[in-house]
Amino acid sequence: MKRAIVFMAAAAALMSSASLHAYLKLGAQAGSKIVPLHWPAFPVRYFVTNRDVAGVSAPQLEQAVSRAFASWAGVGEVPIASEFVGFTGAAPLTGDGMTVIGFQDHPEMDRVLASTSFTVDTVTGEVVESDVFLNSTFSWSVADGGESGRQDVESIALHELGHLLGLGHSALGETELAGGGRRVIGAASVMFPIAFSAGQLNRVPRPDDVAGISDLYAGASFRSSTGSVTGKVTRNGGGVLGAHVVAFNPASGRLVGGFTLSNDGTFTISGLEPGLQIVRAEPLDDADVSSFLDPAGVDVDFKPAIYGRFVAVPRGGTSVSIEVKVTSK
Amino acid sequence: MTAAWRRLGVSLLVCAAAASPAAAQSRIEFGAGVIWTGGFDAGGADALEPRNPTAGSAPLTLFGTSPRLAPARGVMGSAAFYLSKNLAIEGTAEYARPVLRTSIGADFEGATGTSVESRLRAFMAGGSVLYHFGAARLSPFVLAGAGWMRQLDEENVLLVTGREVHAGGGIRYRIDRHFAVRGDVSATAREKSIAFEEKRRILPRVAARLAYRW
Repeated sequence: MKRAIVFMAAAAALMSSASLHAYLKLGAQAGSKIVPLHWPAFPVRYFVTNRDVAGVSAPQLEQAVSRAFASWAGVGEVPIASEFVGFTGAAPLTGDGMTVIGFQDHPEMDRVLASTSFTVDTVTGEVVESDVFLNSTFSWSVADGGESGRQDVESIALHELGHLLGLGHSALGETELAGGGRRVIGAASVMFPIAFSAGQLNRVPRPDDVAGISDLYAGASFRSSTGSVTGKVTRNGGGVLGAHVVAFNPASGRLVGGFTLSNDGTFTISGLEPGLQIVRAEPLDDADVSSFLDPAGVDVDFKPAIYGRFVAVPRGGTSVSIEVKVTSK
Repeated sequence: MTAAWRRLGVSLLVCAAAASPAAAQSRIEFGAGVIWTGGFDAGGADALEPRNPTAGSAPLTLFGTSPRLAPARGVMGSAAFYLSKNLAIEGTAEYARPVLRTSIGADFEGATGTSVESRLRAFMAGGSVLYHFGAARLSPFVLAGAGWMRQLDEENVLLVTGREVHAGGGIRYRIDRHFAVRGDVSATAREKSIAFEEKRRILPRVAARLAYRW
């Protein structure tokens, strides 16, 4: 068995990450193929560092992490389960075969709230170990209603555990430039790469997150009860790489996003409710492109566009292939 | 029989025929025509994103929608059986191509594309009871009945089936011994439709047809 640390995902702040190789999911090299990064079995057995930080004790961190795991486990038909093994003096990010979650000082990462790393079996793509650090350079809180000026541990842990389970970043969010960085105005996914402002809560997986985690772990009944939209995004007849494509169901109000991941502009968004969807394509311009994809070749020079026909998603099947035509900015 | 009696016999026969033309007609009538069914608000939500509380309280609107099923014209055929001079039962079949459409508004990033639509296929088969008030050349009638409807989206991927009930009235104008034109207006209540909100909807329906009776 060949093991290597192959991936470090950034979360809740801007930081470069490895490529996403499929909609919402992290990819791992397995032999000659890229496969979705995933846990082979549950429960995920994890340790929590026995280190307190101002405002958050180690037991409080463990409880917040436990609630965040429970949020992912509660999204329907996924078999996700976790088991707190105990407190440890080991630091996260050590590649020691233990999954460790805890605080660590990284003052040099002044825009990174937290990060997740993996040890992956490069033959199967299965996760062997994953570690999450929360940057203790920032101020943290576990208060039920949040605490002004402090990041909410459970919200950020929910995001990082999404990575730990195999999800990449979602682009379902809008931002504005503020203070030399980006401020989130709104986000329809806990996996958006930029966190809500300090003191705000974001503790509930959204439909986009549910579709992604279900696509990774749910069984046949989920696939037979949901459907997919497929197609391509083109400009002047050529494919657009790196477009963010959103499927919106007006009946439920659910937004689920995906990406065009090849030069021909093709995309597939899975885990959708059957019914008519509105499809919208936009450039990846609400966060650094590298938060989502390898920036090489990603095209952000086009206007957002809405496909002019309702797209019918069949139960247990895939829509007819559509072509969303975009124009240059 | 004398010539006088023969003339009287022929005259009586002609009079009898003129007095009750319906008595010589079949009880079956076929019709074909056009229908118009009203549209409705198809429900549906705007595309909203939870807002960062420090940036405001209302959800962020990625884009707004206002779906409607547009009024639709279609074609229909019918076959009626007259149980009596006034009372008939009738079966109908209808086909229409209504358009489900939404305008897109308030896109947060000014996306191109201002409307999204799908042209549906709508079939309906039903039955009605009709009561005609009199047998004059111009006669009003009332009708009531029920039907079964089937709708498909334009890609034939989504299928919705459901029941409908209807009631209304109209006018029938007899052109000659065989042909008549008929117009009716009714209200049709439908349990289901391809839409974004499931609820019973009551729609106006207007039909005009040419009828032929033996």
